Amino acid sequence: MDANRLSQGQLVAAVAAIALFIISFLPWFGVSGAVTVGGTTIGGSQNFSLWEAENPLDIYLLIVILVALTPAVLSLMGDGADAPMASMATTLLAGVGTILILYQVFDTPGDADRKIGLFLGLIACAGIAVGGYLNMQETSGGERY
Amino acid sequence: MIGRLTQGQLIAAIGAVVLLVAMFLPWIGVGGTSLPSGISLPPGVSGAVGDTSENVWKGSTLDIYLLITAIVALIPALLALTDSAEEFSFVAAATFLLGVVAVILVAAFLTIDFPDGAERKIGAFIGLAAALAIAFGGFRSMQEEVAGEI
Repeated sequence: MDANRLSQGQLVAAVAAIALFIISFLPWFGVSGAVTVGGTTIGGSQNFSLWEAENPLDIYLLIVILVALTPAVLSLMGDGADAPMASMATTLLAGVGTILILYQVFDTPGDADRKIGLFLGLIACAGIAVGGYLNMQETSGGERY
Repeated sequence: MIGRLTQGQLIAAIGAVVLLVAMFLPWIGVGGTSLPSGISLPPGVSGAVGDTSENVWKGSTLDIYLLITAIVALIPALLALTDSAEEFSFVAAATFLLGVVAVILVAAFLTIDFPDGAERKIGAFIGLAAALAIAFGGFRSMQEEVAGEI
């Protein structure tokens, strides 16, 4: 395998996709609370990763990751046949994914706290969209979509 | 104006409208405890312990995603209706792609992600059927575009 086979767009999308996969296991949401019983305050907090939060965003972002990795994997395997649909799909799905994560930043489920994973996930997903867009431009040779 | 739409665009547009309507129908139902027979509520007290149901707008990011899918599927029809139809080969592929992912997400919602103890309501099934129609319409549009180029 030769990483030089990857175009700049494919590389950006693939790196961002791997980053998003790792980030998905970090805390995305948190719930904290405290109870006072007989003058003693007992508090606690619990964090949820993307996979633990009851939200279809996990399945969606998994699809985005797989779609983003496809062109890079095909290129690395030497099967880099024209896959213009793959770069378009990466851009579209990651773009929508960025909107969905951004929506979660402003409207967290059950008014949970925002954790670091949510913000890093937003950046990584936007990175995939940018990579897909660059790849789309590279494959079309400047042709407008 | 509608006559300008291809079969695929029409199917996708109808699917999108049905999806938008379905999103306001009940998707999740939670059964409440029923009163034992023979017990009547005092006047002025409603049977608040009964079933409640919620549509897709309350809960998750599925609502926003389905809204985006429906809007993209409606774009060709809206362009035709406003006489500003242009070549957007991108839209057919986007409709197909978003429709397929919508089918996966709604199916996952109905199976893996469904809240414990809740009941699946008609809106979810109509939503699934509408997402399937959008995906099929997008696929058909892509086929029609390819056929038109040959």
